[in-house]
Amino acid sequence: MTAPLAALEGVSVDFAGGVRALDDVTLALPRGTILGLVGESGSGKTTLCRALMGLVPHSAGRILFDGEEQRTWQRRDPRGYHRRAQMLLQDAVASLSPRMTIGAALDEPLRIHRLPLAEGRARLAGLLARLGLPAQIATRYPHQVSGGQARRIGMARALVMQPDLVVADEPTAGLDVSVQGELLNLLLDLRAELGLTWLVVSHNLNVVRRITDRTAVMYLGQVVEEAPSRDLFARPAHPYAAALVAANPALHGGPRRPRILLQGEIPSVLRPPPGCRFHTRCPVAQPRCAAEAPKLAEIAPGRLARCHFPFALAGAAA
Amino acid sequence: MDDPLLRIRGLTMTARTARGPARILSDIHLDIGRGRILGVVGESGSGKSSLASCLLRLLPPNLERLEGSVDLAGTDLLSLPEPAMAALRGTRIAMVFQDPMSALNPVFTIGTQMVDVARRRAPGLTRAQALAKAEAMLARVAIPDPRARLAAYPHQLSGGMRQRVVIAMALLAEPELLLADEPTTALDATVEAQIVALLDDLRRDIAGSIVLISHHLGLVAQLCDDLCVMYAGTVVETGPTAAVLAAPAHPYTRALLACEIEAGDEGRLASIPGEVPDPVAPAQGCVFAPRCARAEPRCHAEPPLLRDIAPGRRAACHFPGAVP
Repeated sequence: MTAPLAALEGVSVDFAGGVRALDDVTLALPRGTILGLVGESGSGKTTLCRALMGLVPHSAGRILFDGEEQRTWQRRDPRGYHRRAQMLLQDAVASLSPRMTIGAALDEPLRIHRLPLAEGRARLAGLLARLGLPAQIATRYPHQVSGGQARRIGMARALVMQPDLVVADEPTAGLDVSVQGELLNLLLDLRAELGLTWLVVSHNLNVVRRITDRTAVMYLGQVVEEAPSRDLFARPAHPYAAALVAANPALHGGPRRPRILLQGEIPSVLRPPPGCRFHTRCPVAQPRCAAEAPKLAEIAPGRLARCHFPFALAGAAA
Repeated sequence: MDDPLLRIRGLTMTARTARGPARILSDIHLDIGRGRILGVVGESGSGKSSLASCLLRLLPPNLERLEGSVDLAGTDLLSLPEPAMAALRGTRIAMVFQDPMSALNPVFTIGTQMVDVARRRAPGLTRAQALAKAEAMLARVAIPDPRARLAAYPHQLSGGMRQRVVIAMALLAEPELLLADEPTTALDATVEAQIVALLDDLRRDIAGSIVLISHHLGLVAQLCDDLCVMYAGTVVETGPTAAVLAAPAHPYTRALLACEIEAGDEGRLASIPGEVPDPVAPAQGCVFAPRCARAEPRCHAEPPLLRDIAPGRRAACHFPGAVP
């Protein structure tokens, strides 16, 4: 296996007030693959993205990008890092300035990175056509475009930098299902055409199962399971992943309640439970789980989980 | 339906805009059976929430025209004088909104807010009696330590707890009709599953009917007896949920179902090309014709009426799909 494009090795992120938003996260993004990141609010998905983008400093571990540490990049070529790693923000409409035309917003990254404008604009014209946006859209203002179009504009703005990595935070949130498919097809096509590596954050498990190669599940600042998406959704190893998969209502098969119902809600990251962070809600927790924190370990070829008793809930979820 | 709780006939609502009148709801015919849960689905702008607001007669300030009738067990909600309508809200009709934080008053305790609701329904209750009812209802929606929670303020509860409180308040009113507009959209997946299980449990105890508005078809499939599919301010298909999902009759319902991602799907993802029609300049014929894969000349000329296509099933299409 070749070296991954980007990797987090034991990364922690601490915020003021003793909040550890990310705790000992290890995750690799192999070149040309799509990694899905799922978990509930407060689990650290967005912090992970921001750390990977170099927008928040990490207090422990290392972040590698194309073989070099992020800190080295930031010293040597910070613009280069930000050119090659792009992020699509969740609220695509709000990320466009209401007082700038779409054309001006599209030019902005070229100016910031001091790239030749003529060449960049030619590339933009090609991108707009590829993304199914009319060329006249450049003269419009953000309030004159639809939510789906705003997302494509965000994509064009990211892709004009010719990045290697694109981080997409909830790319389909708030979009109607009627346009969601088209956007996801585009994402898959662009990976093939441009050799892009994607990190896709989503609360929509159907989307993640369908488009990603691997999926990482986060809970309270930690990755609790990471596996090929097909395996993870078919047979989740971590009890939290199993509960999350079971909570996803299926369209067919009639009225059916989730067979794994968790008690309570995600605890505060200010006071994470001792031992395994999930043991307070885990239906199969043992005394050992409250005493000893499990490590992320390989539980089957290519499958990682942070659990003393992986697959303990697998029968119920299958 | 023999004796529905709610009978909507020819409900049409238009609003004034800078570009002219916009058609928000057009000619809606819909029955809600007693004790049934009706799921209303459709894309943004299809009129789902406007329909719910109309049932509470909470009308937009730019309302231009309101026609038709909404009959709740013999009372026409559209012609009722405002004081009588106000008395009906929170008693015979209750609503659960999407965001539980904005539905609760931040400066009063949960107990005070629940007592208000209980005494609005039964003005003779003492505060102690109302508090006892509130505590029992909090226990019913599985809130641990309900007595202590009565003294809590909304900000002291988690999002899932708040939505349970809002549901408990709605149930305290013992409404004949409970409207729930995207009640789990603001919640996390495992908490959403808890609320869905709760609603599923409660349905057996609730005498009244529930209208669940959601863009989440999986949720509707799990909870609702009947399904109503809306598009561009009209009802395009209604029927028992399982039957509609198994054999959708309207091309829009079929297209919407095809867009849902399910386990085992392969290949390209489906979408519905084209855009939702402009409410200010609605099309001549069928509202879905411009995006319909099998539209014929008649579809562009003549709007189809919502008509019976099989027992219990109706669709607004000139060429509905075969239904077993």
